[in-house]
Amino acid sequence: MKKRNYLTLFLTLIFLMSFASVGWSKNLFHSGGSSTMLQILKSLLNPNLSPELLKLAFESSWITVAYAAAGISLALIIAFVLGIPASGVLTESTFGKWMSFTVFRGILGFMRSIHELVWAWLFVAAIGLSPYAAIFALAIAYGGALGKIFAELLQTVPQEPIKALRSAGASKLQILIYGYLPQALSNMVSYSMYRFECAIRSSAIMSFVGLGGLGYQIQLSLTELRYNEVWTFLFFLIVIVSAVDLWSSLLRKKMAEAAASRLSFVKLSTVALAAIAAASWMFIYIAEAASLLDIFNAKNLEHTKDFLSGLLGIGQAEPAFFSLESWKNAIRLAAETLHISIIAIGLSAAGMLLTVIPAARNAAEGTLTLKRKWYNWPLYLFTSGLYIISRSVPELVWAMIIVYILKPGILPGAIALALHNFGILGKLCAEVVEDLDLRPVRNLASSGASSGQILVYGVIPAVMPKLLSYILYRWEVIIRTTIVVGFVGAGGLGQQFKLSMSWFHYTDVTLILICYLLLVALVDLFSEGCRRIIQ
Amino acid sequence: MKKLIALILTAIMLISLSGCSADNQPAADKAEKSVFKIGAIPDQNAADLNRNFGAMAEYLSKATGLQVEFVPSVDYAALVTAFERGDIHMAWFGGLTHVQARSLVPEAEAIAQRPRDEQFHSVFIVQKELNVDKLEDLKGLSFTFGSESSTSGHLMPRYFLMEAGLDPAKDFEGAPNFSGSHDNTYNLVQAGTFKAGALNEAVWEKAVAEKKVDLNKVKVFYTTPAYYDYNWTINSNEYVDKVFGEGTRQNVKEALLSMDNDQADILALFQTDKFIEANNENYQAIETVAKKIGIIK
Repeated sequence: MKKRNYLTLFLTLIFLMSFASVGWSKNLFHSGGSSTMLQILKSLLNPNLSPELLKLAFESSWITVAYAAAGISLALIIAFVLGIPASGVLTESTFGKWMSFTVFRGILGFMRSIHELVWAWLFVAAIGLSPYAAIFALAIAYGGALGKIFAELLQTVPQEPIKALRSAGASKLQILIYGYLPQALSNMVSYSMYRFECAIRSSAIMSFVGLGGLGYQIQLSLTELRYNEVWTFLFFLIVIVSAVDLWSSLLRKKMAEAAASRLSFVKLSTVALAAIAAASWMFIYIAEAASLLDIFNAKNLEHTKDFLSGLLGIGQAEPAFFSLESWKNAIRLAAETLHISIIAIGLSAAGMLLTVIPAARNAAEGTLTLKRKWYNWPLYLFTSGLYIISRSVPELVWAMIIVYILKPGILPGAIALALHNFGILGKLCAEVVEDLDLRPVRNLASSGASSGQILVYGVIPAVMPKLLSYILYRWEVIIRTTIVVGFVGAGGLGQQFKLSMSWFHYTDVTLILICYLLLVALVDLFSEGCRRIIQ
Repeated sequence: MKKLIALILTAIMLISLSGCSADNQPAADKAEKSVFKIGAIPDQNAADLNRNFGAMAEYLSKATGLQVEFVPSVDYAALVTAFERGDIHMAWFGGLTHVQARSLVPEAEAIAQRPRDEQFHSVFIVQKELNVDKLEDLKGLSFTFGSESSTSGHLMPRYFLMEAGLDPAKDFEGAPNFSGSHDNTYNLVQAGTFKAGALNEAVWEKAVAEKKVDLNKVKVFYTTPAYYDYNWTINSNEYVDKVFGEGTRQNVKEALLSMDNDQADILALFQTDKFIEANNENYQAIETVAKKIGIIK
């Protein structure tokens, strides 16, 4: 308990110090920023709803969903192929366990360490501008994430049925199919659905490497300063993401229910998902005329080889990773990236803490503080609405808008990340508050505590550890994404990555990726340590 | 039930796999190969580019008998990469992208350009009410370039800023922005998002002529000395003559150079009355500047 408080204090201090070290001396907005913000907000009230634009928005939405579905279906295959060996459930020997833990976990970790947009960029350089660049990128990043979770889920299934199967003489494969998979399935499905929702957002931003979809339209409208169109496309994105979110939470709920009532919904969902996946692949194969086999041709092999040897600096006089000067610069940028991520997580955590209580359903119903006020429901709807909008819009899109308002530098990137993660953290943490055991609260109330006292002594201490571990977990995600907001000029390693790619300085790209991977690993280690203290 | 779900999941995977392995590609592949693809750096808004280069593709189809198609691209580097891969057979490059493309495809060749491209300029613009009339006055103002790979929107403006003793990394209000295209640059300055910017003179003149820019809000205060910029660069023999037949490079070049009053409409879209011969050597100076700034190593 003590340790945990010190840790909270320590983390808060780090955040405050980072926050203070931003160059606050000058004006935060750049000179024309506030008028631009006004224009953007004004057009929120009259989004462009002309038939042509709506048609375009529907088409782009479909492209976005199709890429996401295709990416996720490949990711699922990868997750099973790598996740099952990584769980170690098939191996018994020490060597086998060692293999599964280091080799397969290592591969999965590497795959998910690099953000999907960075993967996409690398794929475009290697195989050219094809829908598969986006699909492979999604498949790898999400395959890594899903594989890791699948492995963990398989490891933690109850052991009794497994033992029963084993003693009945079942083979390893049979144990896997009849013992492990059925027990982990429900969690696997719900996590996959959650990832599908994320993939839709990621797929939307694949426009940055030149692939169509909602992000591309948003980018076009934004650069031509047609803000009313930007909002139309954003609304489409928000609706799709919320729909998938709703669907997945319904599915989760139904799967947890007793067998009889859930059958039809689960069955229907499964069929619908299969249909979406099949339609997506057909669309990509026929309408986009992109065949998967075509990707593996001699020409692409040649280009991939060239690109890889470019990254490795083969035949180059001075590869960047052998230059002290380049290392210095890259480390400075890595520090800047870390700085951005700390401000981002701090801001989103602060925003979340201020809003999480009204955003919890039990607070709105009045069961949390045992007081019912007229403003509880409106406040609940408002905050949960904010969360939905904030998390549906990818951080990259937030960043694209914000660089028009704030001066280029560390802050626009940090704020973009904070805006996106505010909604995610808010949703996760509101659920923690909703799941809270209410008995201590009632005890406090019966001994005459006020609502404020109930919050301070009853609710906050009870939810804090969970909230803190969610915050740390989101920080791990943010550090991976920080590179991406740099693409639009929000500073850090990302900006340099984009410039180096544009200028074909491939050894600089390698150096940046090395620093990026080191940074991600470092943050993961630190955050894991902190979470261990909390638990 | 769970077995059913597992079964269906497997089915999804199989469908996904079979969806991509069915093979009726050869026919489509051939059609693909015989299309002569032209590209352009996306230095202006997409609608304008589609119109201009669509018209040019149509003319080239008629003049050469090839099936010519315009393929839009999202950023400058993407076009250079597509050119390197042979996915684009001829591209309308700026000076810098031409040099980048040639370092990747040594056999690529500048074949035609507009007379104005021999004497190209960038203009520096600023919000009208500001008291700025030379480059040094930009100190402390927010500033936007065009694309980071643009010659007239980034490379040469940066060079002349440095010549004037300014360090773009330090001397502006915050780091300089990269707007992505010349249209974006004047739009952002006009909207007040950035105080000043630099762009391609031709795009500026067109925006003024078409009244897309409000001269009560934005003014030009400096025009750079002349340098070589845009040209049509054709890909190597391997991707052109060997695919479309011997002499294709020459035919395309002649088709461009022979454009005259009969094609006045198309030429007007490119703000010129003819195309003249270009050659790789003209871009030596651009390469030197790019090396000096560190864009080319």
